[in-house]
Amino acid sequence: MKQWPLAAIGLVLLLAWPLLAPDVFYQRIGALVLLAAISASAWNLLGGYAGQVSIGHAVYFGAGAYSALVMYTHFGWPPIAGAPIGVAVSCALAVLVGLPTFRLRGHYFSMATIAAAELIRILCTNWKLVGAAVGLMGPPRPRTVADLSFISPLPYYYLFLAVLLILLAATWQMQRSRMGYYLAAIRGGERAAHSLGVPVLRYKLYASLLSAGFTSVTGSLYAVMVGFVDPDSVLGILVSVKMVIVAALGGAGTLFGPLVGAAILIPLEETTNAAFGGSGTGITFIIYGAIIVLIARFEPGGMAELWRRISGWKARRRAA
Amino acid sequence: MLLEARGIVKAFGAFRAVDGADLEVTEGEIIGLIGPNGAGKSTFFNCLAGDAQPTAGEIRFLGQDVTKAPAEDHARLGMARTFQVPVTFEDMSVAENVMVGAFLRHGHRRDARRVAEEVLDFTGLAALADSPARSLGTPGRKRLEIARALATGPKLLLLDEALAGLTPAEVRLAIELVRRIKARGITIVIVEHIMEVILSLAERAVVFHQGKVIAHGAPRDVVDDPAVVAAYLGHHMKRVRQ
Repeated sequence: MKQWPLAAIGLVLLLAWPLLAPDVFYQRIGALVLLAAISASAWNLLGGYAGQVSIGHAVYFGAGAYSALVMYTHFGWPPIAGAPIGVAVSCALAVLVGLPTFRLRGHYFSMATIAAAELIRILCTNWKLVGAAVGLMGPPRPRTVADLSFISPLPYYYLFLAVLLILLAATWQMQRSRMGYYLAAIRGGERAAHSLGVPVLRYKLYASLLSAGFTSVTGSLYAVMVGFVDPDSVLGILVSVKMVIVAALGGAGTLFGPLVGAAILIPLEETTNAAFGGSGTGITFIIYGAIIVLIARFEPGGMAELWRRISGWKARRRAA
Repeated sequence: MLLEARGIVKAFGAFRAVDGADLEVTEGEIIGLIGPNGAGKSTFFNCLAGDAQPTAGEIRFLGQDVTKAPAEDHARLGMARTFQVPVTFEDMSVAENVMVGAFLRHGHRRDARRVAEEVLDFTGLAALADSPARSLGTPGRKRLEIARALATGPKLLLLDEALAGLTPAEVRLAIELVRRIKARGITIVIVEHIMEVILSLAERAVVFHQGKVIAHGAPRDVVDDPAVVAAYLGHHMKRVRQ
């Protein structure tokens, strides 16, 4: 494949970024880019490859984040030990949400996922065990290394990079297998997929389980790094929307699209937040809105499609 | 008996699109389903393919009751179909479209690719294998529908107006393709309103009118049946017979 040299350059750049970054601020942005890339890549399995645009993935992100800190708060576990529990809860939720909603098509599916996510957010806001509206805190200072509580962003950066590489390798394998073709067929036309023997509902569930599981892992990683969760920061609709936007900006249904999208959006968001301080959250909404409008109007395939067109255009010019 | 449909009814509210239709298909034949627009052919066809569930009646394929089975089960048993308006997977290449069908019986990518290439060769699409499917025009898309269906390794192929919208030259090519499919031992049910196609291809014709089968038999005899002529053929047939 002709993309491999490019992927290799990207990998070297990712490995070297903390050394290239001038200070901790940029190293931290690097870690946040990777975190956003993981969650958007996880979303991409269902929303991109299978074409089932979920706007409720905060449910799985939240399940992962809460599992980590609930286990710490109530049992004194290292937060990361809650990750497998988050994955189990997320998979159960994926089946629970998926069975009724996968019969819906297009916008109706997206709306149902929003409803499910908001329901869970409101439940958690009133649930004492998970800290209700106040939320939960992680360990104030590390007890052992297993708490994964570091002052430098570097350990997080390389931890996130490892998870991202595992996820991308799994996605690449999936894309080339029967499942990849079946998901693309489901995205292309469910009726035709059925007629060719694709068990549509079953494959949507497979994609959903994979997607929910990895999203939950991202949530746990987030909780470990930030050390604090509350309903708004991990279950709010903005969490779901961000995954969609990051993936769509880079190119939904492509392997590297979510990473590219994260590399563009997160630095933009962080620098505006830094520049405008507390009032920056409003700016984030404006940026999201502007990106949605721009992608929908000019480049529904995201950066990946733009790149394909430019390289195709260059190839034709060379041929001419 | 390959396929047996008895007393099929498909009602939408009070309206019965299909109203007690029967069909028997034996192995190795080409059967034509004809009738005026709105006669219920397509609805009946969708019931056979498992795309719609009949309100009443029974469908048996290879001796198994498939009346309520979803379309993917029909495919697994060996029934493939094309759509009247082609549903092409636009993001994929021509070969990848066909591979989706081939994956039904071949789990590995390499095997699926090999089957797809063989089918593309057979359907005359080999030269376009790696082109994006969205670059195909209507005749190419109709051919791709057939190729994809063949890749599932069917015993019975249901063609829903696979030749509509083609120019006379393309129709001749398509007729030739259908004949070659039959020569592979695949049974064919074809819905069509181009009478020449039915007359030159089908060994038996079944005529639909208002959701009911009003005539069946050899195509030549069927078109002379007064009930059929009265139902719809009218002046159109005069032109064909000249």
